[in-house]
Amino acid sequence: MLKTPKITVLAALLLGTTLSGAQAASGEVQMVLKDFLSTNENQATYVENIEKALAEKGHDIDIKVVDLPSGSYADALGVMLLSGDIPDLIYFQGGDEKIAAQGVLEDWRPWIEKTEYLKDALYPHNKARLENYPYLLFVYPLRGWQPVMRSDWLEKVGTDVPKSLEEFKALLEAIRDGDLDGNGQKDTYGFTAGGNLGELDGFLNPAFGIDATWLKDENGKWVHAQISDQEREKLMFYHELFEEGLLDPEYVTINWEAKEDKFYTGRAGVVSASRAGNVVVYETKMNTIYPDTGLTLLDPPSGPGGQGLQAVDVSREGRGWAMSALSENKEAVVALLDFMASPEGQMMERLGLPDIHHKGSGENIEVLPALGSWESPFMVAANWESPVKLLPEAAEKYLQNMQEYFIPDNQFAFPADFAAALDATDNDYNAWAYRFVSGEVSFDRWDEYVEAWKADGGSILLEYAEQQLQ
Amino acid sequence: MASSLSDTIGNVPKINRSSFSERAQRLWSRWWPFYVMLLPGILYFLAYHYLPIWEARIAFQELRIVPPNIWVGFKHFVTLASSPVFLQVLQNTIIISTMKLIFIFPVPIIVALLLNEVRSPAYRKTVQSVIYLPHYLSWVVIGGLTIATLSPNDGAVNELLGWVGIGPIPFMTDSGSIRWVVVFSEMWRSAGWDSLLYFAAIIGINPELYEAAEIDGAGRWQKIWFVTIPGIAPTIATLFILNVGLFFSTGLDQILNLSNPVIRSQIDIVDTYVYRIGLQTGQFELATAAGLLKGLVGMTLIVTAHLASKKLTGKGVW
Repeated sequence: MLKTPKITVLAALLLGTTLSGAQAASGEVQMVLKDFLSTNENQATYVENIEKALAEKGHDIDIKVVDLPSGSYADALGVMLLSGDIPDLIYFQGGDEKIAAQGVLEDWRPWIEKTEYLKDALYPHNKARLENYPYLLFVYPLRGWQPVMRSDWLEKVGTDVPKSLEEFKALLEAIRDGDLDGNGQKDTYGFTAGGNLGELDGFLNPAFGIDATWLKDENGKWVHAQISDQEREKLMFYHELFEEGLLDPEYVTINWEAKEDKFYTGRAGVVSASRAGNVVVYETKMNTIYPDTGLTLLDPPSGPGGQGLQAVDVSREGRGWAMSALSENKEAVVALLDFMASPEGQMMERLGLPDIHHKGSGENIEVLPALGSWESPFMVAANWESPVKLLPEAAEKYLQNMQEYFIPDNQFAFPADFAAALDATDNDYNAWAYRFVSGEVSFDRWDEYVEAWKADGGSILLEYAEQQLQ
Repeated sequence: MASSLSDTIGNVPKINRSSFSERAQRLWSRWWPFYVMLLPGILYFLAYHYLPIWEARIAFQELRIVPPNIWVGFKHFVTLASSPVFLQVLQNTIIISTMKLIFIFPVPIIVALLLNEVRSPAYRKTVQSVIYLPHYLSWVVIGGLTIATLSPNDGAVNELLGWVGIGPIPFMTDSGSIRWVVVFSEMWRSAGWDSLLYFAAIIGINPELYEAAEIDGAGRWQKIWFVTIPGIAPTIATLFILNVGLFFSTGLDQILNLSNPVIRSQIDIVDTYVYRIGLQTGQFELATAAGLLKGLVGMTLIVTAHLASKKLTGKGVW
């Protein structure tokens, strides 16, 4: 009779002890992360440095990196996990829902609560996402598409950063007509993208009143933004850009590499960056061709619907770290992440390896050019301030704008059974959107598109949305 | 008396039948080096082609990381079939496979016949090297080349068409063109390499047959028609049957690299659909169900084609 309470008390005491951030942890932590391999010399050195730093804090943690191919990371990870080989710390880039549904992923929240540094390192969007889906943790600044262009081209055009849709369009016209690359031809497109219109939507959706995935129509019913009146207005604007040679007609067939190539070689004036790191990459690469050429981040133009950046999905993290519920080294995993969130850990995360990515210490730190290619593998803490300037102005502005224009989306997670309907409706939208924008079909056929969207699975999405958004 | 009867039946002596193990021992002692050489091949097929047949049972299960898996019968097959776009995907697969079979299958045969007619060995070897080359390129590279070549802005094909007053045609976003792009890019990649087998078969034809045809007054076309083509007919039949068996494997890599949102509905095949819905979302059971379905259809087609070929030409795969 007394056994159960005793065990419960003992377990609670043990849990309390193990959750304590100050407690020394030990054990082997198997971790798997995309583009992070034990065979990479810099990454192996980084892991050794972390182990040494952890040892100085009293943690005897042995980090074992599980190597997975980068190209098919998500597929290879899924196969590995479903075959029962489950590392302690897993980086997911999709495919985590099915694993979480089987109870194999740990709820981060009670663990984070007990940490010394990690709990304060989270961004507001992390906290919102953890409440909705507590299995993934991705402590990085918000991501979204924002436009950048060469600063010298903006000067040549002689206009300020555009504030409205009209000014934005005028800038694209000036790029088209100005022969800014000096090749004697007016062959530069105002804007190009790598595969779809999402790169324009990122900073133009709010201008047309699309401030969420689900909008209310005139009857008060929820409709998906893809079939809304606001979307129609927006696509009509894109059509104007396309027709007037301001939007690269190949945007739908090229990939991100071709898009970047057009940007660096002067065949496109404005492109979108999906995160601050990309702004750094764009500027670094641009500098290798045109030394001392900086980039300017453009503000989102205002339109009839408002101004801002695309609403951010807070229903869950789309990627991030998960901890195995079957792990025997959970304390070690949390100790590792807590250390990475600490000031010392962040110095390592943000400044990379000594003498490769930076040199010196304390107030005499000098950032080396190689830092441009360094990615913080674990996290970029919200509360850590670097003693040296790490990002160029445009990237700093990117982060600032993400915070300033942050609006939470009302998107919610659909169950796995809806995968086919989501896939079909997305395909419909992308195909029809291109046809409307390119002028292949007239906007008179908008209703036909909406019907096709509904028939291919949209109807069940709308029904489900009505239930979820009540 | 009984014993003598068992030794002979009439004046026919009884055949001394050895047991299975004796025969196996005899065969092993005589041919063992060959069996040893065969071993890696047998192990490969066991590991990668026969064991997966047993594992295909997950098509009927809900996969659990912590066993046991849950038996769900035909649920995944029903999920596949009930998708609003699955019929479109199936139709695309059949259309593209049929186009490939009709337009690509004869090309390597023609290439091999043409190569056989080249009299300069140096020139033939050069041509062979050049046309084998695309086989070694990945679809990522070929996809990029195809998109660049067919670009309506500065692609080589549209520039050529422009000289004769046609176009520009946006091949990569045109729903009427994209399936032909799939067929011709596959043809460019595989025709040279696939001609190798036919060329080897042509070389194997007895030269005396050509000499006899020449004595009978046959010209170059007649020798091709009456000697070369009948000589490689068994190879053609075998490869055709094998190609029919791969009818539903239309080329995942190719479609993934040539696809874009505008024309996806025209070239979305079973493989790409399952890749998106099954593998990318971690629904491996669904992907296995589709794979099993493809395997069964492929096997049915291959057996049907084999039996038809046997009946019509007397030749089949086995």
